[in-house]
Amino acid sequence: MELTFYVASAIAILATIMVITNYNMIHALLYLVVSFLAVAVVFFTLGAPFMAALEVIIYAGAIVVLIIFVIMMLNLTNEDVQQEKTWLRPKTWIGPALLSLVLLAELAYLVIAEDMPTINNQPVDAREVGLALYGPYLLGVQLCGMLLMAGIVGAYHLGRQKKKVVHRFLERSEI
Amino acid sequence: MSQIDFHYLMPLLILTGGALLTMLVVAIKRNHKIIYVVTALSLIGSFLYLFELRGLQRHVVEPLFVIDGFAILYIGLTLLTSLVISMMSYAYFEQREERKEEYYILILLATLGACTLVISKHFASLFLGLEVLSVSLYALISYLRMRERSDEAGIKYLILAAVSSAFLLFGMALVYASTGTMTFEGIAASIASAYDLPLLMLTGFGMMIIGVGFKLSVVPFHMWTPDVYEGAPAPVTAFIATVSKGGMLGLLIRLFMQVEGFRFQTLVLIFTIVAIASMFAGNLLALMQRNVKRILAYSSISHLGYLLVAFLAGNELGVEAITFYLVAYFITTVGAFGVVTMLSDSEGDAEQLEDYRGLLWRRPWTAAVFTAMLLSLAGIPLTAGFVGKFYILAAGVNTQLWLLVAMLVLNSVIGLYYYIKLIAVMFQQPEAGREPVERLRPSILLASAGTLAVLALLLLYIGVYPTGLVNLIEGLISPATMVQNPSAPLLEAAK
Repeated sequence: MELTFYVASAIAILATIMVITNYNMIHALLYLVVSFLAVAVVFFTLGAPFMAALEVIIYAGAIVVLIIFVIMMLNLTNEDVQQEKTWLRPKTWIGPALLSLVLLAELAYLVIAEDMPTINNQPVDAREVGLALYGPYLLGVQLCGMLLMAGIVGAYHLGRQKKKVVHRFLERSEI
Repeated sequence: MSQIDFHYLMPLLILTGGALLTMLVVAIKRNHKIIYVVTALSLIGSFLYLFELRGLQRHVVEPLFVIDGFAILYIGLTLLTSLVISMMSYAYFEQREERKEEYYILILLATLGACTLVISKHFASLFLGLEVLSVSLYALISYLRMRERSDEAGIKYLILAAVSSAFLLFGMALVYASTGTMTFEGIAASIASAYDLPLLMLTGFGMMIIGVGFKLSVVPFHMWTPDVYEGAPAPVTAFIATVSKGGMLGLLIRLFMQVEGFRFQTLVLIFTIVAIASMFAGNLLALMQRNVKRILAYSSISHLGYLLVAFLAGNELGVEAITFYLVAYFITTVGAFGVVTMLSDSEGDAEQLEDYRGLLWRRPWTAAVFTAMLLSLAGIPLTAGFVGKFYILAAGVNTQLWLLVAMLVLNSVIGLYYYIKLIAVMFQQPEAGREPVERLRPSILLASAGTLAVLALLLLYIGVYPTGLVNLIEGLISPATMVQNPSAPLLEAAK
């Protein structure tokens, strides 16, 4: 049981290292997805299946899709077809695919294994998480709302207008 | 949440409501004056509500918050400082061409974050408060998009604050792993009988100190300070220097008093090194600067070093000294940045030393206020800064921290040099060809000038007659209200 935890953690670390060392955004994103999936497996082995599901749905799902959309929009002017061809070389996707395969094997093992296999033998299900969040930690949830509001207002202000002055280092190189 | 909880959390709820109301008003109609009034009213309302809570017992809102005299004092300080800063922001942003309204929403939210920090007694509320404060500050620092430096400052703060948050989180995780609880008193109970910290806990606390140290901008986590101070708009700089640091310091005091961190030699050693390094690095680096905002940045680093001396005293006198010094430091720093704010024009902030040449002859009153603020920062008698420094020395001597006290005195002398240099520049004759600065509308000017005058008077009042403030602080902070102590019998048994 502990082995699945360590394998998943190793994959998470490896994938994250690949994210920050890759210069190509899309390549990095592929590894980022793998990293999120690996963290989800880690959560699952630690006895938090609900967190694992959230990790997959929110991070690997929603957030990465958003990032991909942004990148696509930014790159609209380039020769997109050419770009996509370079993205789809086996060299690009073989690494993430292999790592994902290992994760898949782990997941299959976890599902097939008889008892609910967790390290501390006490899985925390969605009901308990919900009771904690909307019971004693209600104020914390509301504070999170304020946090998101600060983020949205700030992002709205900073993203609203095009900046006219470029940074002093870039200014010189562009002229 | 029961009704009584509502009563105790009302100051924070008013702030939250104020932020939401401001946002709705912005959605209906953008008007700088209306937004400004709503902001000021919510800060004042929140502050006035504190008087309702003043005489009451300490109240715990399980499991996240605790409201006691200490918390009320620090919330009041934070709210007043935010109010003064937003008073000065009005004139500053009136001259800017950017949209001004979002600024007030962010200021209210950042204040809410700082207030949350000082009342939290749980890692979750600590982290949430810190993030509300930081996220608001990211946008506030780079608020003036047309400025050249604003992006640089914003990105620098964003990345470093995110890294320091990661350290803080990891530290909390390690502490949680070894104690199994995230409340302060739970941690205190689990290490109450230990003579030495277990390695896992020590690593956890060390990583938390990195996160906290970044916010306090003490050496060696100070690298961002001068750049961010320089790039941010002057009122925001005042906010970072005061409210953000004050909130964090309040939290640090509460955590350390609760877990009795001063029993552990390693932690004391870490803080001693940090304090001495901050005093020296801050003062020595300030000597060579020609930019007023950077000078004030380095000066704030050294002032945090002074504060840590009182913090290391670790007793009730130390907490009183910190609080007193913090009040003096807040008044002085906000006043100094207020002068910078007032002298700034639509081109940029008045930050070069040249902008201050001959200020005394051009605008005598502003120069007088600035001189008073600088003298207080240097700790000259008859100002609040002197009494504060005296208080810290007393706390240090009381607990026989001779090394730290000696360093403090030495550094006060070094610090004197650059404050006096700044004052000397103001006394020089102005260059002949310099055209007079164009004045703002009198009504707007009145808000800033009035605020500065109040700050200067307060500075002198506390400097001449500190008893009033001392009594207030002593009345609100007493050991009984400060620490809730389930571990006391355990500790006795251990001895």
